[in-house]
Amino acid sequence: MIDRDEVIELVLSRVRGSGAEYGDVRMLESRSQVIYGEDRRIARVQDSEDSGFGVRVLYRGAWGFASSSVLTAGEVRRVSDLAIAIAKGSATLVNDPVTLCPEPIHVDSVVTSARVDPFSVPLEEKTHLLLETMEILHKQAGVARSSAGLWARRDKKVFASTEGSKLQFDLLAVEGDFEATAVHDGRFASRGFNTPHLRTGYELITDAQFLTEAPRVAAQAVEKVKAPEVTAGPYDLLLDPEHLSLTIHESCGHPSELDRALGYEANYAGTSFLTPDKLGSFRYGSSHINLVADNTEPETLAATGYDDDGVACQRWDIIREGVFVGYCTNREVAPKIGQSRSRGSNRADGWGSVPMVRIANIGLESGQSNVDDMIADIKHGIYIEGHGSFSIDQRRYNFQFGGDAFWLIENGKRTHMLRDVIYHGITPEFWGTCDAVADRSHRRRYGFITCGKGQPGQSGWMTHAAAHARFRNVSVIPGRAGA
Amino acid sequence: MTDQRMNTGDAGDAVNAEGLITREQFRRLADLVLKTSEGDQTFLSLHDASGGTTRFANNQIVQNVNTHRVSLAVTVAFGRQQGTATATDFGEDAIRDMVRRATAIARVSPEDPEYMKPLPPQDYVPLDTMQQDTALADPDKRIAYAAEAIQLCQANGLTAAGIVASSVAAVGLAAKTGLFAYEPRTEAKFSITAMGGEATGWAANAHRSIDALGVSARTRVAIHKAKQTANPREIPPGRYTVILEPSAIACLIGPMIWTMDAKSFYKRTSPYEGKLGRLIMDRRLTLSNQTRHPDLLGNGFNSEGLPAEDLVWIHNGVLKQLRYDRYTAQEHHVHPSPAFDAPYLSGEGAEAANIEELIRSTPRGILVTNFWYIRDVNPTDMTLTGMTRDGVFLIEDGHITAPLVNFRWHESPFRAFSNVEAFTAPTDAVSNENWKMQLPAMKIADFNFSSVTRF
Repeated sequence: MIDRDEVIELVLSRVRGSGAEYGDVRMLESRSQVIYGEDRRIARVQDSEDSGFGVRVLYRGAWGFASSSVLTAGEVRRVSDLAIAIAKGSATLVNDPVTLCPEPIHVDSVVTSARVDPFSVPLEEKTHLLLETMEILHKQAGVARSSAGLWARRDKKVFASTEGSKLQFDLLAVEGDFEATAVHDGRFASRGFNTPHLRTGYELITDAQFLTEAPRVAAQAVEKVKAPEVTAGPYDLLLDPEHLSLTIHESCGHPSELDRALGYEANYAGTSFLTPDKLGSFRYGSSHINLVADNTEPETLAATGYDDDGVACQRWDIIREGVFVGYCTNREVAPKIGQSRSRGSNRADGWGSVPMVRIANIGLESGQSNVDDMIADIKHGIYIEGHGSFSIDQRRYNFQFGGDAFWLIENGKRTHMLRDVIYHGITPEFWGTCDAVADRSHRRRYGFITCGKGQPGQSGWMTHAAAHARFRNVSVIPGRAGA
Repeated sequence: MTDQRMNTGDAGDAVNAEGLITREQFRRLADLVLKTSEGDQTFLSLHDASGGTTRFANNQIVQNVNTHRVSLAVTVAFGRQQGTATATDFGEDAIRDMVRRATAIARVSPEDPEYMKPLPPQDYVPLDTMQQDTALADPDKRIAYAAEAIQLCQANGLTAAGIVASSVAAVGLAAKTGLFAYEPRTEAKFSITAMGGEATGWAANAHRSIDALGVSARTRVAIHKAKQTANPREIPPGRYTVILEPSAIACLIGPMIWTMDAKSFYKRTSPYEGKLGRLIMDRRLTLSNQTRHPDLLGNGFNSEGLPAEDLVWIHNGVLKQLRYDRYTAQEHHVHPSPAFDAPYLSGEGAEAANIEELIRSTPRGILVTNFWYIRDVNPTDMTLTGMTRDGVFLIEDGHITAPLVNFRWHESPFRAFSNVEAFTAPTDAVSNENWKMQLPAMKIADFNFSSVTRF
């Protein structure tokens, strides 16, 4: 039996004795519960426990990392020595050695605040909720398929470094969703509902009122599949907060990762058009655009107190009045553009993964407008809710987005639904067309736990908050091959 | 967490020095789980993997990792009530706790009308799924291959980014029905992006054997592409004749395979509705699973224990098979489908000798190295979108005359593969978002490029 403190001591003593300039160890015990239903049945209930530790070593400016799920003294020694050996091997192929920027020593603990522990809620209550939700969806004529799910995860983590930082975490996250799929005239279309992923308790699910929302979602699935196809052309767009969370993520979040801008991801996720020479001067969008990274806002996914470099979470500007002014950074890349402190955006998706720069909680600052007034000022436009198809090039210029639901706006009125709406453009040109952002009363938070990056691939977690925003004269096409 | 690891014995046939669980050890472990479980049915799966990735960018190593993960999952069922629990700690106490958690879930879960009890014992034909060079590859070996790629790029005045990865895994399944399967598997990957300013070239491979990746040859391909892509020209979007290299073809084949499930077909939420038994692509094309192909990564059994099988899914352009899960197969009185993990697309009739021959026969067209960020746009007709990446070239009068600015495209694989003009023999096809396939390069008419980007 080896306890947590013994693991930490064993790892750090071996790293210190190796001549390495830095080392850290992360131990993680994760528990997750997934309940998934489809077509009026509970198809899967899974309770997962995933525990292990990872050792990171910096030797002569080169990284080594090793990890294992086996918690024995022998394995801890083996993995520590392997991480050291890998770092020494990496040092033979380094031309620009890593120098970590300084960070104060932190000794702290972080606990998610939750009213109801999701793991304490009886399973029967959860499966009953999902079955009842799916039954309601199928009451709507035209609905052919349904799905519904609940997800919860608790991460108990310890971080300790050779510099003396020691951090303990007990973090929760919760999410729930359901979807109806309707068929009509040889076509099918889905309409979904989901809570955001947030660091909170089961109250998020209770407050979401699945049973109240289900009839609307089912009816809109049928209306969507029967709706006329959009006609290609320029439209004014009014985008809802959930939809904007993805637009922000793809077109602002990823390009603002400094490791991408420096070429670290050139072989996979790509680079960035927001190169360091543009910092402080590049016109990214209109003056209405203020995109702020805030890893301090309670309940959001990246608000974990400290990142996996042991750097305290912060709030900073990415885009200020339309101008590019900030990156997401870690202790490795921040000094490469002359910055003296990391922004605290270094995260790994588990004990077996090495941390890398991840998108922060980047959100669109609220404006002064009322949503009804924003619609009233649109002659020919589309209101878009939720997430649909999305794709963007490897430097984050050329994008296209669909959505979950679309309504035609004519002469200041939201009219009927449309289907197969796709809008596309070039990132800075698109954000340049924004002429109004709704006030804070319309602000909502949506997040992602499947943000893919890195080789081997990792899933990043972050939240993007926004109120509705309006964009003028955006190119729209119908989403089909022959269009 | 416990230091008291289960006594799984010390039987031979160890996979490698990392101490992965052997067949006999897994059998003992399975015996313990199955004996511990009170369920009417119990199903256990093991994934014990060890491996690493050396990642380089800007001509140096930026990440170098090794991970050993033992993962167990147990599903316990009482009648049609089931529950699943997983664990990465395989101490005896942790295993008993995992079974207890799965049991607790099963006892209160609603009955699943589609529950299928685990398969009975199956006959497995051993496949060559493990190569010793990969199983024994250490970080030094990966670093050596990374150094080779970097040095080749540097010698050509270019910057290298890429990965060398190797892994070895022990995969096992066992059930109260008597089902027992165990297989060691290795996999190695190499990919390289060579860059010169704005110009990029890419190549990749995946194989059971790390020494069969062809690091040097692939790097030279990426270098050649990068040298050709400097100062790209912008031409208007529209419909063009394209020559898609195998990696780009993989980006269209992948979504076709993912969406072949029979359940969606019978519930009328499949792009294949109305297409079973009908012509869905050029008559010369046949898509099959070739489990034993030495350059593919076919496994001996799927996640439920169904043995691997060589099946023809699309024959001479006609859709012959859907992918049946065991419940849907029972409903429709057919056999459940084995894994489709070794895709092989071949053409009948005259093949072009190589991509160069396809280029020579093209008066005007566009050569595409690879696609990127492919997503579905319209699930009914399987319209997809994506970008071209790392090498797109204008062909005029049978010659490459200029590199081009990258395009966005919107196209359905059904439509594209019905417009095939010519093809090569199948060869290695790896892309960022798909697994290893053997596919031809193809010349396709009227491919729909919908917009251009800035580079």
